[in-house]
Amino acid sequence: MTKEESSAKLTKLSSEHWFTSPTARALGALTIVFCLGLLFNADAAFYKWGTHRDMLRAVSVYGILSCGMTLVIISGGIDLSVASILALTAVSFSLFTIHKGISTPIAILACLVIGALCGMFSGAVIARFRIQPFIATLAMMVFARGMAKWVSGGQKISTAVQQSDGTYKYVNVPQIFNFINSKVLGDNITVVTLIFVVCLIISWILLVKLRYGRYLYAIGGNEEAARLSGVPVGWTKILAYGMSGLFCAVAGMCQAAQELQGDPEAGMSYELSAIAMVVIGGTSLQGGRGGIWLTLIGVLTIGYLEKILSINAVGEDKRLMLTAAIIIAAVLLQKGKK
Amino acid sequence: MATCILKGENMKGTLSLLIITLLAGFIALTGCSKKPADKEDKGTKAKWTIGISQCNLGEPYRVQMNADIKSAADKHPEIKVVYKDAQNDTLKQRSQMEEFISAGVNLIIISPKEAAPLTPVVAQAYQKGIPVIVLDRRVLGDQYTCFIGADNKKIGESAGKWIVEKLGGKGKVVELKGLMTTPPAQERHSGFLQGIKDANGIEIIFEADMKWLEPDARKEMESALARFDKIDLVYAHNDPGAHGAFLAAQAAGREKNIIFVGIDALLQEGQAYVKQGIIQASFEYPTGGKKAIELGLDILNGKKVEKEVTLSSRVFTKDNIDSGGQLLKD
Repeated sequence: MTKEESSAKLTKLSSEHWFTSPTARALGALTIVFCLGLLFNADAAFYKWGTHRDMLRAVSVYGILSCGMTLVIISGGIDLSVASILALTAVSFSLFTIHKGISTPIAILACLVIGALCGMFSGAVIARFRIQPFIATLAMMVFARGMAKWVSGGQKISTAVQQSDGTYKYVNVPQIFNFINSKVLGDNITVVTLIFVVCLIISWILLVKLRYGRYLYAIGGNEEAARLSGVPVGWTKILAYGMSGLFCAVAGMCQAAQELQGDPEAGMSYELSAIAMVVIGGTSLQGGRGGIWLTLIGVLTIGYLEKILSINAVGEDKRLMLTAAIIIAAVLLQKGKK
Repeated sequence: MATCILKGENMKGTLSLLIITLLAGFIALTGCSKKPADKEDKGTKAKWTIGISQCNLGEPYRVQMNADIKSAADKHPEIKVVYKDAQNDTLKQRSQMEEFISAGVNLIIISPKEAAPLTPVVAQAYQKGIPVIVLDRRVLGDQYTCFIGADNKKIGESAGKWIVEKLGGKGKVVELKGLMTTPPAQERHSGFLQGIKDANGIEIIFEADMKWLEPDARKEMESALARFDKIDLVYAHNDPGAHGAFLAAQAAGREKNIIFVGIDALLQEGQAYVKQGIIQASFEYPTGGKKAIELGLDILNGKKVEKEVTLSSRVFTKDNIDSGGQLLKD
């Protein structure tokens, strides 16, 4: 073999390796969607930074949910309750800040505790009684939605506050709502997007930098083996669902701030979008494989797809069909050649 | 190992027992707190009992409908009103109707969830001589006393005409539609087109299905704003949609140059937005609660009423909101 031949083979090998890495495959799907945007740019609307900033704002809440979902899915589970916990915390946050006038830090803390407790409860049921995550979080999904409707009395908690005599008094939106809703860095990025980035970094630290992350991957890969090698399976799971609940609370507060109200019906079917984003990124639903940056790519893929369909005013019917096509294409890309 | 499993089983048993006890306590508590509230409505001299079957109290519109019924009924000590909520369940609503029939109420007001499955039970009450007022949604056939409803198409048309006048017959409009597989959205759309058909200068530059949802309306409006530098007006099929569009425009710093129009005008939503200057106009989709009590009293007093009553709608703007809105012309 000549030197040239071997070096050519080496390049080929390494390029093959590069193309088959999950990150590259996930980026493939994102690139396809991005090219669609360049092609159908809707009178150059796609070339404006504002379009991308708005897309990032719109996917941030989904993205925050996806962070928690990634942790849970890597551990081999699933969390169906994210959207309901989002609604519960959105309603609670509005109730605390707008109606009750509780100071913002305490309200935020209370919502985080509510979210984390909901998640940890699901985790405890799953870990202690070996109930399937699908069932346990399904129950939490129904319960949290009911709770959201109960605390709000079935009404949206908005700045129109009903008085005891049935009339309405209009109050101002709390500062924190305006802050979360605002744009920073020269109007170039919204605060919700920055919150999403912080959630990504927290998830990355948990998954990559701490021993806890290795526990999650181990449990997702082979729970029994992990148990036998001394991994505290129960607590690891409880913490995973607890973190998911915590992220839901963050997402819920962002949702309330963006709507300027707490809607007990908020986030209907967001859990499915969050799962789709995680899976499109390339995290395996069977657990043990995946990563947080893959989820980021998945979030951007769906986000760009929705944005491109939206700026081109594509009808709802075609949107649904195209979204399905992209999901299938992305997952096939992930699978690659056998 | 065996003890461990046993312990787990025991704990499962204890936990399920605990859950059931909690549940029973919860039901007992809420049950107790509700009942006296129902009886509160009863005047001591109540001559007639009216049964109300509401299909679902989970939506603000229907909560408002019941509130309207209550405020109208409170002025009449001669009637006692019994409220029931079918929680979006057709069969539950059917059995509630059967309960009213066997209790022998003097009149029934029903806002049915679905037409076909509830038609027989409405007819049954009607044939037994209990007058039935059907509110908002229809049943099939003619075995009922009176139907009260609003006309979405007419409301859409009025909104269209109002918009033509407001823009002086010329302008670029964004239409944010409700879930287009539902009749109200279809009628609010076709009525709107009817209303603007003579104004050639009105151009719908962007339309999207926001599924009645505020976050979706905001996303779609962001796209419209990115694409078009000039937008004169947003016509949304409901007030949350108009509010979402406003928030998108506000984030882009363009809300001052755009007129926002919504539909429904509920007290705590559309009317509040108009009052706060967020949207410029909201067209009322009336609940008919007050009208139902008025007609119910007429029927009980032996007067003859029309079989079909179409509710008139009002438009709320900053100028007329304090005086209770302006009635729309036919």
